[in-house]
Amino acid sequence: MVGVVTKMTKSVMRSKKTIYLYLVILAIAIAYTINSVSTVAVAASSITFGLPLAMAAMVGIMCERTGVVNIGIEGTLLTSSFFGFFVAALSQNLIWGLIAAIASGAATGLLLALLTVSWKMDQIIAGTIVNILATGLTSFFYKQGYSLPAIFPRWSIPGLAEIPFLGRVLFQSGPITYFGLIFILVLYFAIYHTPWGLRTRAIGEHPSSADTSGISVLRIKYTNVVIAGAFGGLTGAYLTLELVGSFDRGFSAGKGFTALAIMIFGRWNPIGALLAAVFFGFAQALANQLMIDGLVNIPGPFINMLPYVLTIVVLAFSAGKVRGPAAAGQPYEREKA
Amino acid sequence: MKKRFFALLAVTVLIATGCSSSSDKAVDESVCGTEDGFCIGLVTDIGKVDDKSFNQSAWEGAQEAASINGGFAKYVETQDPKDYAANIALFAEAGYNVIVTVGFLMAEATAVASEQYPDVKFIGVDQFYAGSAANYSGLIFPEDKAGFIVGYLGGYLTTSGKTAAIAGGPDSIPPVRKFIEGFVAGVGYAAKEQGKNFPKASSVYYTGANAFQDPAWGASTAQQYLDQDYDVIFSAGGKTGNGGLARTAQKSGAYCIGVDTDQWGTVPEAQACLVTSAMKLIPQGVVALIGQVKDGSFAGGNYVGDVGAAPYHDFDSKIPSEVKTKVEEVTAKVISGEIATGVKP
Repeated sequence: MVGVVTKMTKSVMRSKKTIYLYLVILAIAIAYTINSVSTVAVAASSITFGLPLAMAAMVGIMCERTGVVNIGIEGTLLTSSFFGFFVAALSQNLIWGLIAAIASGAATGLLLALLTVSWKMDQIIAGTIVNILATGLTSFFYKQGYSLPAIFPRWSIPGLAEIPFLGRVLFQSGPITYFGLIFILVLYFAIYHTPWGLRTRAIGEHPSSADTSGISVLRIKYTNVVIAGAFGGLTGAYLTLELVGSFDRGFSAGKGFTALAIMIFGRWNPIGALLAAVFFGFAQALANQLMIDGLVNIPGPFINMLPYVLTIVVLAFSAGKVRGPAAAGQPYEREKA
Repeated sequence: MKKRFFALLAVTVLIATGCSSSSDKAVDESVCGTEDGFCIGLVTDIGKVDDKSFNQSAWEGAQEAASINGGFAKYVETQDPKDYAANIALFAEAGYNVIVTVGFLMAEATAVASEQYPDVKFIGVDQFYAGSAANYSGLIFPEDKAGFIVGYLGGYLTTSGKTAAIAGGPDSIPPVRKFIEGFVAGVGYAAKEQGKNFPKASSVYYTGANAFQDPAWGASTAQQYLDQDYDVIFSAGGKTGNGGLARTAQKSGAYCIGVDTDQWGTVPEAQACLVTSAMKLIPQGVVALIGQVKDGSFAGGNYVGDVGAAPYHDFDSKIPSEVKTKVEEVTAKVISGEIATGVKP
């Protein structure tokens, strides 16, 4: 009996998701028929605005899933875009910049792992240290007057790029965009369908059980936090080497913190966070488009509120019980016999 | 042991970086508050002193004024709007003669401070001062005129007829709004003159919490415009605007227009598209007002600075000479007031 009920509820849930999907497709189709140029621009912009947030949210997910709260994402983004920009500008080679960004991102991850996993420091304070260090160092060593040789060009994928709508929105992007999107999908698969994912989740929920079953808790924590840092470095590289093409002090402008909200909004699930980020990007792009077209005469402040209001509305409807990994924030210490 | 080593290393690095920041100046802060010391303090808005835009221009002016008048200049960067008053007090308490506060958002804090410290002279860049204190002068600019001039040029450069302005701050900040609306009016004027039926120039104002500080937003918004065949983009507003310029430079055939200073030098990554910049001659205004303080003619009220369009640099040979002549004529007429921009102050 109970089984049947659960099954039914599940299928209703599933159909609810399908309905949402159809609604979104329908809305896009209607908008596309009315004004194809604006619709494509808004959709493409949703990705440009949302992708850095989604990628940064993955850093948070990888860390928290393994029991480390990472509020130092902002610092990782800032550090890696700094190194990405200056190494690329000084060597006049984007690839070196990319490598430097990833390496410096991984270094911030290593620092966080060192502070929280080995030295068992309070994780919030450790993240703050990363942020302060990043702000201080990048501000201090920042110099004006350097510029990149180019930015990563867009790669049109033959065939796919010609598809109406989807072609421009997804298949005419830069290399980091493609890699970022693929990474998010792979991360989703890895967390839920691989031994590594199972171990990672176990450590995030109940590290001592994981330890008892023979998982090397500290090693996996280290690996994950450093990989997350490297991916954060790639996000920084995206911002400076693919999206903007410049660097300024305070360049990341709070994206690392927004990413934490996206992570929770997406319920610590990579796909969920990706959707949440694209939704947030969409709200931003839509607000822009309303001003660009100037069709409706809504006072500016109301348009400015749009991304936030939309987020609150969606949260109010979609939020159920949200619970993060149980052991996030606690340093792991083996009980002494 | 390892921890100690790291801590020691960190401290050493911090001390080393801390030391190297104090450069050797002929005059130092100790003269402030004494008889013959002439000290200029500058408080930035939440943008930074090297924002390649208005904070930087004001700081250049302050430094120049210091060297002209044999004084000492120092700046404090505001990290949070809550600190405006505290940062101003920092200089006032140290006996500084002139305090320059940069940005419209600091107007209120500056007005309060001018009453609190009657002996200190205050210069508020971009701040319209409606009060009557004799020690506070607002350095204001007719931004709409600068916007109009570059908009007029844009109206002649566009081939698609679609022109856009990206504002790095909200339209509740008058200098931002006046730049943008002036640009829109200028494009309209050029279109009418050519007998072309361009759509009204489009504009977008920044919507988040990091006004003037979000290059990625500027870049994404510029891309959104470029996707819709806009080919002249006026990107105005600190680092947010700079992001828009840099992104526009990636699209061949698109023009971008900078703001506040000649951004050819300050945003080199935009040189591929940067035809000109809508300039406010902030350094000159700051120098003039500080000069007034020095010679005793400073009387408070508002001081209207000059505006203009920056040189074309590499685009000089690409812009038809008749267009250049027209822009010159319109510039003269707009500045003299013969052509009204129609933007409300």
